[in-house]
Amino acid sequence: MIFLRRQLPLLITFVMGLVFAAQYYVPHPASEQLLTTVNKWIQIIGGFALVLGVTSLFHLHAVKIRRKEAGWGYSFVLYAGLLGTIAVGLWANGKEAVNGALTAFGWMYSYMMVPLQGTMFAILAFFIASAAYRSFRARSREAAVLLVAAVIVMMGRVPLGEYLVPISGDFSQWILNVLNTSVRRAILIGISLGAVALSLKIIFGIERAYLGGGKE
Amino acid sequence: MTFAERMLHIDRRIIFLVIGVCTLVPLLYPVGLAIKVSPEVRSVHDHIESLPEGSVFLLSLDFDPASKPELYPQAVALLRHAFQKNLRVIGMTLWVTGAGMADQVITQMARDLGKENGKDYVFLGWSPGVGSLIITMGQDLYKAFPSDYYNQPTKELAVLKGVQNLRDVNYVVSLAAGTAGIETWYVFGKDKYKFELGGGCTGVIAPGLYPLLRSGQINGLIGGLRGAAEYEVLIGKKGRAVAGMDAQSATHFAIIVLVILCNVFYLSIRASRGKADPR
Repeated sequence: MIFLRRQLPLLITFVMGLVFAAQYYVPHPASEQLLTTVNKWIQIIGGFALVLGVTSLFHLHAVKIRRKEAGWGYSFVLYAGLLGTIAVGLWANGKEAVNGALTAFGWMYSYMMVPLQGTMFAILAFFIASAAYRSFRARSREAAVLLVAAVIVMMGRVPLGEYLVPISGDFSQWILNVLNTSVRRAILIGISLGAVALSLKIIFGIERAYLGGGKE
Repeated sequence: MTFAERMLHIDRRIIFLVIGVCTLVPLLYPVGLAIKVSPEVRSVHDHIESLPEGSVFLLSLDFDPASKPELYPQAVALLRHAFQKNLRVIGMTLWVTGAGMADQVITQMARDLGKENGKDYVFLGWSPGVGSLIITMGQDLYKAFPSDYYNQPTKELAVLKGVQNLRDVNYVVSLAAGTAGIETWYVFGKDKYKFELGGGCTGVIAPGLYPLLRSGQINGLIGGLRGAAEYEVLIGKKGRAVAGMDAQSATHFAIIVLVILCNVFYLSIRASRGKADPR
């Protein structure tokens, strides 16, 4: 069993990791065909992951409802929403519109999901304004610099700001193009080097957390 | 409690009301201030403008309804421009929750501009895999999408004639609300398959994409509602984005005024108490 649980996954990871790191540099048709085939596998496995995710979600919330844990009513709403959507989706054959007319599934998407998600995101503007008023304070020199930069960018990104202070647009662009880009680039390089190091550790079996716990 | 302290602990509902009024009034009574076009938005426009008729333009609508207010106007403006230029348009999405909305915008714009499904445009829909999907498209488009959103076999579509994989696409634009999006298209697509890539995104993620822009990894970037408004100005068809800019101006200024007031009160309390940090 140790072979199936530990050694085989480590072997597959090692071989696939090396083969596909090398594949990028080999433009031979056989190599390209291998990439196409394996990517198709990944897409199919991705489809199964969706089923696994939904099953896990069902299980988690079923336990909450059965034990009547705090907030179990929300779990019930989730169940109703999920099962209702699946049922309506199957009934409509997965189609949101037929000959330009909305199906029940399309109606649920257009008149429930779209406005609900839009509302959730729109509410953010109110909370951001409230949070900015309460917490955006010049407590230190660094906070003051951040505050000034934020005000300039906010002014420069709207026509009223450019109308009142014409230089704010160019100054805002400079902050985004120079200061923001250089810092972001440094962070990106750091993250990328970290990702390379982690990938090598996984390929060579040094990092094994992805195998999960359990008995050897 | 002093006046400044009372103001620092103002009821949040008053702030909500200020933001609500600043959003609503400009929408009802628009001012129509001039919108200056930034170089990054102009780059996307100019690239589409430079493409000859019949070129292949892939628009990946990588967002869900939460980002509709910012990215839907971008999609409308880009599709209008592409259809007016008689480009062959391929639509798709990397976000499963965005498929219905992406289909709506493409179908609506095609209908408005008299374009025919399968001949002038195709909507491929969504397929799992994200990065793997892009790689598969780069290898063989028909393996990634054997059929389109309406179950038509993609190999038989006139719009895809001569298109075997992403190398045959002249321009890709990803309208992204996060990951998967522009970076995914760069890492798994452009880097290997060498097509030109542009981007559109929500305002909140735009600063994070400037390194890609400055290094030339993307040739242009349409950022948020402002970017959409700039694009509408460039194509000479003002729409929802331009209409929303007055409201955005007012809310930005409301937030700036609130932040300044909060700091005035904060510093006045701090001055009266010495260096102690008032909460």
